Amino acid sequence: MSSGKKMWSAALLATAMLAVTAACGSGGDGGETADGKIKLRFSYWGSDARQKMTEEAIKKFEAKNPTIDVEGEFSDWASYYETLSTKVAASDAPDVMSLEIRGLREYADRGTLADLSSSVNTADFDAKVLGTGAIDGKQFAIPTGVNAFSLMVNPALVEQAKAKMPDDTTWTWQDYVDLSAKVTSGSGGKIIGTQLSWNPAYLQIFAAQKGEPFYNGNQLGVSAATIKEWWAIMQNLIKTKGTPDAAKSSEIGATSIDQSLLGTNGGAMGMWWSNQLGAVTKASGQNIDLLRMPKIEGATTGGMFLQPAMFYAASSKSEHAAEAAKFIDYMVNDPEAGAIILSDRGLPASSKVLAAVREKLPDADKKTLDFLDKVKGELADPPAAPPKGASAMEDILTRYSEEVMFGRMTPDDAAQKFITEANASIAG
Amino acid sequence: MADSVAVKTRPAAAQPPSSGRRTQRARREARAAYLFLAPWFVGLLVITIGPIVASLYLSFTDYSLLSEAKWVGLDNYVKMFTEDPRFLSSLKVTTIYVVVSVPLQLAFALALALVLDRGLRGLPIYRSIFYLPSLLGGSVAIAILWRKVFGSDGLVNAVLSIFGIEGPGWVGDPDTALGTLILLHVWTFGAPMIIFLAGLRQIPSSYYEAAAVDGAGALRQFRSITMPLLTPIIFFNLVLEVIKSFQSFTQAFIVSNGKGGPADSTLFYTLYLYLKGFKSYDMGYAAAMAWILLLIIAALTGVNFLASKYWVFYGDTK
Repeated sequence: MSSGKKMWSAALLATAMLAVTAACGSGGDGGETADGKIKLRFSYWGSDARQKMTEEAIKKFEAKNPTIDVEGEFSDWASYYETLSTKVAASDAPDVMSLEIRGLREYADRGTLADLSSSVNTADFDAKVLGTGAIDGKQFAIPTGVNAFSLMVNPALVEQAKAKMPDDTTWTWQDYVDLSAKVTSGSGGKIIGTQLSWNPAYLQIFAAQKGEPFYNGNQLGVSAATIKEWWAIMQNLIKTKGTPDAAKSSEIGATSIDQSLLGTNGGAMGMWWSNQLGAVTKASGQNIDLLRMPKIEGATTGGMFLQPAMFYAASSKSEHAAEAAKFIDYMVNDPEAGAIILSDRGLPASSKVLAAVREKLPDADKKTLDFLDKVKGELADPPAAPPKGASAMEDILTRYSEEVMFGRMTPDDAAQKFITEANASIAG
Repeated sequence: MADSVAVKTRPAAAQPPSSGRRTQRARREARAAYLFLAPWFVGLLVITIGPIVASLYLSFTDYSLLSEAKWVGLDNYVKMFTEDPRFLSSLKVTTIYVVVSVPLQLAFALALALVLDRGLRGLPIYRSIFYLPSLLGGSVAIAILWRKVFGSDGLVNAVLSIFGIEGPGWVGDPDTALGTLILLHVWTFGAPMIIFLAGLRQIPSSYYEAAAVDGAGALRQFRSITMPLLTPIIFFNLVLEVIKSFQSFTQAFIVSNGKGGPADSTLFYTLYLYLKGFKSYDMGYAAAMAWILLLIIAALTGVNFLASKYWVFYGDTK
């Protein structure tokens, strides 16, 4: 009898332990910590530096709001959406989440986000920039800061190759190709003119110069002719050796900006979002400047535009909607938070915060700010959030662009297939 | 909850409880056994069988992870074979990878096992050294190293340039990118090599002695003794490696930066499945792909077993 009892208790103990570990895995839902504070979960991606800044800002917020305990859920960019979508699928969505514009509709259209129109103060925001976070009149997301996709150049390397810096108010795509080729030949091949970019923002700017929108509702607005013209620029760059051959370009394209040609001083130009200026300057250790994108000859608009670097959004399922909104409000409107985060999430979208932190910004960001001020009058309106499925656009565009660069597909064929696949992706 | 089920499902007493003590004791032991099995059983249900059943269900739905799954019947399966050229191309890439790399890897493993079987001094050391790539091969670090070694400014091209050859960017070129992954797989020959070594040890040396007396040379001995007696081991390795390499993921994911590029030349089946599920928010489709993969692997393994009748030699059956 007694041995039977022992066995019973041993087995029960084993199952109990399993139950306990399972409970640990699911994490404390409900959102209250042991000391009665409200627990708010906040997910974001980025570098270690961003994590340190964010934790510092969170600490200040907690000091001001002693009843709220904010728990940062941090991951790298590559696995961010994977983790976030899995949490949402498991009804375990963080109260506050960071999103970028391509992922916004994926979440908003599926009812995962709360309307923040009345709960976050947006009085100091540019209305057009703010509008990018709104869908059907509901403010699902608050922009953190803005960026412009621009051309970056290392003037010292251009001059070293005995080429002249362009006048970016008038330069054309042909000028860009010529300059790239000249840098390569002038330096005896030691410095490459530029590196290729397959960022949809680049195609978007080019298409805008031809008067075509990138998205037309749930359809691609870019025509096959435009895409082919755009590819021709890159084919010319490869042909004139202004950029490495297709294989090397694809290899460079797969690395981060630190290992880009511009970042390693192996190339003189490249195109990125303007908030990358700090990173590329640091990697190269030399002076890097921002330029306007080249234009199609006779184009009436440059096509460049501001786009939020990222957004804060609140879960529609959050049990602490008021606290979530309060935290977002603090992150975007409080100069104290702004002084810590600075331009890490784009140049602050709130004009009040921007004015307060302007002098504290690192040199690269001051340069970006000056550049954006300079081109402000020429910018196109910030585009609305792209349709669902747009997160795949960069991959699709890269794939067909590479097929063309490698000569495995004709531009005609690739343009048609790209449009078909892109439309299928965003229609779904 | 599941453990209470396990407790209740103890075998009902079939025989009348006549021979008192014995059955009572047996029953108590059975009960204890089920109790001890309960934790494992919970794991099996919750962590293995549950997700398998769920994925089968999801494969018939349109499921984005973010909203509820909608039943669509066989749509996902039909779409795969009719509207998705990338699915077919991923299947092609994976098949080439398996068909080329598995035989190469096994041949390499067998060759090294034969060399090491010569009673070398310090055999354990060599064995460990050659086994090392097998431990490392699937790791992220090695994949990153591979990208560097085969990059256009990598080690391989540095060596080639000594001979005046200007090598291409191996991982950046769609014609050679898959080749670098095949090489990486061949390089991880350690695990089959160890198994071959064990198999070689089991062949009685008296066979070789007898053959030597009859005047058979080394080649003849290899063909008539080693190979036939080793066929079960080769078969075992073949089945294992085919299954494993059909599911390769990490290498392609890292070397192509998670995209299967350039131009889809390294888009492995599992990589495409992952991209569909987590990047395109098409988890239903991804689940359907997983089931097709299971069917493919099961079919291949079946074919392997059927074919084995004609070439695998089990000493005791013939």
